[in-house]
Amino acid sequence: MPQLIVTTAKGETHVLEAESGITAMMAIRDAGLEGLLALCGGVCSCATCHVHVDPASQSLLDEMSEDENELLDGSLRRNEHSRLSCQILITPARDGLRLTIADED
Amino acid sequence: MLDLVDRDYFTDHSILLDPYEYFEALREKGPIYRLPGRDIFMVTGFAESLEVLANTVEFSSVVCVGGPAAQMPFTPQGDDLTPQIEEHRTSFVGGDYLVARDDKAHTNSRALLSRLFMPSRLKANETYMTGLADGLIKGAVARGGVELITEIAVPFATLVIADLLGVPPDDRDHFMGVLAAGPPAGALDADDDAERPHPMEVMAGYFVNYLIDRKQNPRADVLTELATASYPDGTTPDVAELVRLSTFLFGAGQDTTAKLLGNAMRFLIEVPGLQAQLRADPSLLGAFLEEVLRLEGSTKMTSRIARKATTVGGVEIPVGTKVMVALAAANRDPRRWENPGAFVLNRPRIKENLAFGRGAHVCIGNPLARAEARIVFEKLFEHSSHVDFDAAAHGKPGNLKLDYEPSFIIRGLEKMQLTLTPR
Ligand code: HEM
Ligand code: FES
Repeated sequence: MPQLIVTTAKGETHVLEAESGITAMMAIRDAGLEGLLALCGGVCSCATCHVHVDPASQSLLDEMSEDENELLDGSLRRNEHSRLSCQILITPARDGLRLTIADED
Repeated sequence: MLDLVDRDYFTDHSILLDPYEYFEALREKGPIYRLPGRDIFMVTGFAESLEVLANTVEFSSVVCVGGPAAQMPFTPQGDDLTPQIEEHRTSFVGGDYLVARDDKAHTNSRALLSRLFMPSRLKANETYMTGLADGLIKGAVARGGVELITEIAVPFATLVIADLLGVPPDDRDHFMGVLAAGPPAGALDADDDAERPHPMEVMAGYFVNYLIDRKQNPRADVLTELATASYPDGTTPDVAELVRLSTFLFGAGQDTTAKLLGNAMRFLIEVPGLQAQLRADPSLLGAFLEEVLRLEGSTKMTSRIARKATTVGGVEIPVGTKVMVALAAANRDPRRWENPGAFVLNRPRIKENLAFGRGAHVCIGNPLARAEARIVFEKLFEHSSHVDFDAAAHGKPGNLKLDYEPSFIIRGLEKMQLTLTPR
């Protein structure tokens, strides 16, 4: 299974085994990591699954959709590494993806 | 007379008018409490509810449509019921609906639906919603009044889902009639008319035809997108599965949204000063709806079965027992919400209320339901200057006569006769 390496807002790092086909949000949520509410359940409408992608992992991801981009615009914590984890699909090619859970707005 | 806490939540009509009093009686027994002599735990605590909803490993959702009091189709054996549940899944009421599925079967199907609820899709849907609400409310104001639930809320909620799914306009009226004749989810009284085909079956007949047609003759529409969609792992769903998924949206999103509109209207009319405040500043509608969802969301509860032994709030839950998560009670847990019974706009972290559940099964229609309610109230404010209960139907304020739907799941008025003053 692809590995997903997630740092919480408190700075703890966890290595998750994530099944291909689920999203990064689901992997983080199901691991019970702190600080990811994912209130809307993955339909790109709450921004409570906000993560920062490690610069070294950036190239593993596709461009974000207009929906994702617009929703992130509403976040005070947006930076150049921001993504919504519910829009990141886990695939074998994304093995080793590193993310940090963003602080809540 | 039985103590309130000893009444049967699942069949007692007297709890309908005020389930909150019953939930508070339960809460006095603790945030999680086993009903004496039964295999059901009642969860009224906010933190404990989150714990149950987050635990998809040890809990299964298979009982959530039929409810925790329904007869089990098998005698639980062993320390992991997963194989038995899967073997008997279709013998549970609604056991094959998306909301009741577990594990990969759930994840896969939910992924198919997610695309329908993305903001860009909902934006397209919103144009339709706005026109529809405009027409319904303009007509009602011109008549001076309306029965909100059956004349506005149900047709509105139904047609909006039909539009979302791309149902051809000519078939929409027919669906509405079929759904209006059906029983609500979690009906307390068994359906007396078993001869009549279940509305979901009637609708399924239509969806089979749509989806087969779109597979053969793809067009640029939602039904085609659904008919040709594949699961995240690349495999493709069969038509029967697509039919179940699309018809389930009506089951999940029609009555719930319609009742939310009624519940919200009641607060608008009854909370002193609120109607004037919102009319003066409709940008408060979002905050208003969140507080309504917290205090009186339209789904009172959901349930799970422990497929493995587990604990909740430190209480041991034996394998095979069921847990009722009283969402409405969690939303009034005084450990989580200050002065929980009071209507307060803009409470801190209000969006974390549990009206739509949480976790893997959290309501996928939540952005749609929120948009629907907002648009109806915007149109109401646009076309009317005042809304009130019709005293001829409901009596005088302070002593209103209101009938709630006889369902252990749904919280909402059967009928709400309103008077509308034009602008
Ligand atoms: C105010 C309106 C609504 C309320 C209060 C509501 C409430 C809920 C709740 C509490 C759940 C979770 C059940 C559980 O965890 O066992 C749920 C699930 C669901 N809802 Fe809603 N709902 C509403 C409107 C809608 C609408 C408009 C739609 C779609 C058109 C919809 C579609 C669904 C679906 C498909 C699920 C199952 C999700 C899953 O199991 O993954 N709901 N709803
Ligand atoms: S979970 Fe809501 S936007 Fe990702």
